[in-house]
Amino acid sequence: MSLLDATGEAFKLLFGGDAELWGIVLISLKVALLGLGIAMLPGIVTGYLLAMHRFPGRRALVVLTQSLLAFPTVVVGLVLYLLLSRQGPLGSLALLFSQNAMILGQTILVFPILVAYTLSAVQGADPRAHETAVSLGAGPLRAALTLLNETRFALLAGVINGFGRAISEVGCALMIGGNIAGLTRNITTAIALETSKGEFAQGIALGMVLVVLALGVNVAMAILQGEGGMK
Amino acid sequence: MSALLKLDRLRKSYGQRRLLDLERLEIEAGHAYVVTGGNGSGKTTLLRILAGLEPGEAEGLKFEGRSIANGEAHREIVYVHQHPYLFHTSVAGNIAYGLKARGVAAAERQRLVEAAIAWAGVGHLRRLAPHKLSGGEKQRVALARAKVLGPRLYLLDEPTANLDGDGRRQTIDLVQELARGGAGVVIACHDRELIELPGMRRFHLENGRLLEV
Repeated sequence: MSLLDATGEAFKLLFGGDAELWGIVLISLKVALLGLGIAMLPGIVTGYLLAMHRFPGRRALVVLTQSLLAFPTVVVGLVLYLLLSRQGPLGSLALLFSQNAMILGQTILVFPILVAYTLSAVQGADPRAHETAVSLGAGPLRAALTLLNETRFALLAGVINGFGRAISEVGCALMIGGNIAGLTRNITTAIALETSKGEFAQGIALGMVLVVLALGVNVAMAILQGEGGMK
Repeated sequence: MSALLKLDRLRKSYGQRRLLDLERLEIEAGHAYVVTGGNGSGKTTLLRILAGLEPGEAEGLKFEGRSIANGEAHREIVYVHQHPYLFHTSVAGNIAYGLKARGVAAAERQRLVEAAIAWAGVGHLRRLAPHKLSGGEKQRVALARAKVLGPRLYLLDEPTANLDGDGRRQTIDLVQELARGGAGVVIACHDRELIELPGMRRFHLENGRLLEV
């Protein structure tokens, strides 16, 4: 099949409502959004605490977080595989090759992004914001929520970036999801599989969905950065 | 009259440089104090220490016997920055902030916010976002946001700095009203008009020492 034919077939799959293709898209969105959702609270709280408090080992944690941002997803997948495999310390949970394992992987991948964005946002915030909240009688929790609200555009950029990483990564999902049709096959693992089989149509169609999602994420970030710059 | 705030032997240093070296300071309710001094003399640092926003080595820093450093009196004292920070919400939302933090019920909150808006003359600005306000308007909103809480002590850092014309005039009028309102008011400033307001107790900060003038 020529590239042109494959592209035409891809459009037919996309607009013909191909159940298998859209099922794969739904699995991708579900796994990425749940992973992101689970990582959000601990990621933002950790970033805030790292930004606002000085304690022994803080610098090492910041460096570790920054290192994790560039950690290869396939290595995260490998570590999780070893932990979740039947002989691994978490083997009894029977999570390997399940959506829950993929969600766990996405959570781990997204967590350092949220920590790093929150750390950067809070450290870069106007110091008068927190002082004003405290001076007006806010307790630690309200003052923290106020500061996070004041930096919401930067935090949202972190959330969007985290979603971008989760939806587009392939290494971790492939290793611990197993690429099982209808269960753990997501956009990226399906593209890898279909391409390796020489079946380009579904790969191209899924690639288009991924590109649209990535564009959407970047457009959203650009809009948010514009909003944040209006202050 | 017993003092609202008592400070004994305060030291504050940055590296080798000793910025503040105060023996004693008492702030009484119903009085206004102005602290003058050159740039970098420590006026702002002193106010921030009194507000509990910055640590200092003090033998005693109490608000009616309660420790300021431990935050035991933080709802009695409001500090207003030289360039006030307004939260990214409306003017009315800013003025309501401290009331929400204190758990004031919505109806009462609205009544108090309206009164504070009227006091500061910012009714026409109530729905505006802070970045649309002038410096003088921001200062008036910040004063209203402080007053609505009914604090016992106001700490105002250069309230008229960088203001001119109507903005400065209106701010001075509001500060005068605060000073007449029964609370203690401490103002760090260079503004001659504020310094020379009648009834003002004047201190000068020089070489870390606070001298009554």
